[in-house]
Amino acid sequence: MENYSIVEALKMVLTSGNMLAWGLYYMGKFVGTGICMGIGAIGPGVGEGETGAHAMDAMARQPEMVGSIRINMLLAMAVAESTGLYSLVISLIMLFVLP
Amino acid sequence: MINEKVTKYLIIVFLSLYIVLGIVNLFVFNSELSGVGQRWIVSINGKTGFMNEVNPMTLIMSFAIMIGLIIFASTVKFRLVPEKKRQTVFELLFEFYWGIVEDAVPNPKYRKPVFVIGVSFFLYVLVSNLLGGMPGISVSPLSNGKVSVEMFTDTWYTPTSDLNVNAAYAISVLIISHVFSAHSKGVWKWFKGFFEPIIFLLPLNIIGEIAKPISHSVRLFGNIMGGGILVLIVSYMLKYFLIPVFLWGFFGWFVGLIQAFVFSLLAIAYIGSAVE
Repeated sequence: MENYSIVEALKMVLTSGNMLAWGLYYMGKFVGTGICMGIGAIGPGVGEGETGAHAMDAMARQPEMVGSIRINMLLAMAVAESTGLYSLVISLIMLFVLP
Repeated sequence: MINEKVTKYLIIVFLSLYIVLGIVNLFVFNSELSGVGQRWIVSINGKTGFMNEVNPMTLIMSFAIMIGLIIFASTVKFRLVPEKKRQTVFELLFEFYWGIVEDAVPNPKYRKPVFVIGVSFFLYVLVSNLLGGMPGISVSPLSNGKVSVEMFTDTWYTPTSDLNVNAAYAISVLIISHVFSAHSKGVWKWFKGFFEPIIFLLPLNIIGEIAKPISHSVRLFGNIMGGGILVLIVSYMLKYFLIPVFLWGFFGWFVGLIQAFVFSLLAIAYIGSAVE
């Protein structure tokens, strides 16, 4: 018995499996992609909303600091976005890279 | 400087060229999402695997950007009294980065190398991200092993949408930070830093160090690659005619500028936190 990697095992399922295996495989792939992207978008949304809200507060309190606050707000948003991007990368791998 | 009339004519010429090419693309090329997420990969010695394959477009575009940046940098002459606008722009950029480096690196001895590293990363990543917002030559592999080259149907290939490039830069930042740390603290003190609070936290410290380049590289990769694929998926009904302009502007220029800044800032912050 040889050892197969995950991708080779999936290819074997797709070439020699029956229709039920196909259906289950694609169902798992698409449902997994949707769940990954949907849940992964919650955290960055909350984080960016908090960042924007507090930046607005600070801008209203100190209108002369608008320039530096805006730059730092965009920077913090870009860093807070990264967890959502990890789930985006994983869902893209599930959609396009897997056979 | 170009006067306003020439600028106006150039804009009109560019827009008409863009519209003509858009109409041509609308009818000539079929709108299939065939090559999404596919890379042109060439095997060196007939085998597959990590060490035996290269990405030709990544190599070509990386070296083109590097050579272009070097040629551009050789044309910028710094004088005591600025003569051109180019010098003023670069002085503003360098002063901005020097302020960041002064805040991040406490030891004045290491400020100049960290500044050079950070600004180099910023310029390279910025140029390659901005290429992702301009329409140009796109290369995608076909299923029969050949390569299709299309003009102005997609943006230029950006090296930063390849995870290998980003991971190489992030790992080099990690190595540089540890070398600087060992150089500034001494090798024994740097080695003791892994056992910092108590000796049982060694695995946690090592995992924390490994997590740095992963998050550093995947952040840039996800932004650029995800933006490109999102533009393709949203706009393939109107085959690169109207919507992609705004999406390319957003994902290529706005997100690209911010992510280039974030990448270099995190590189400076990682090196600065390691140097004592």
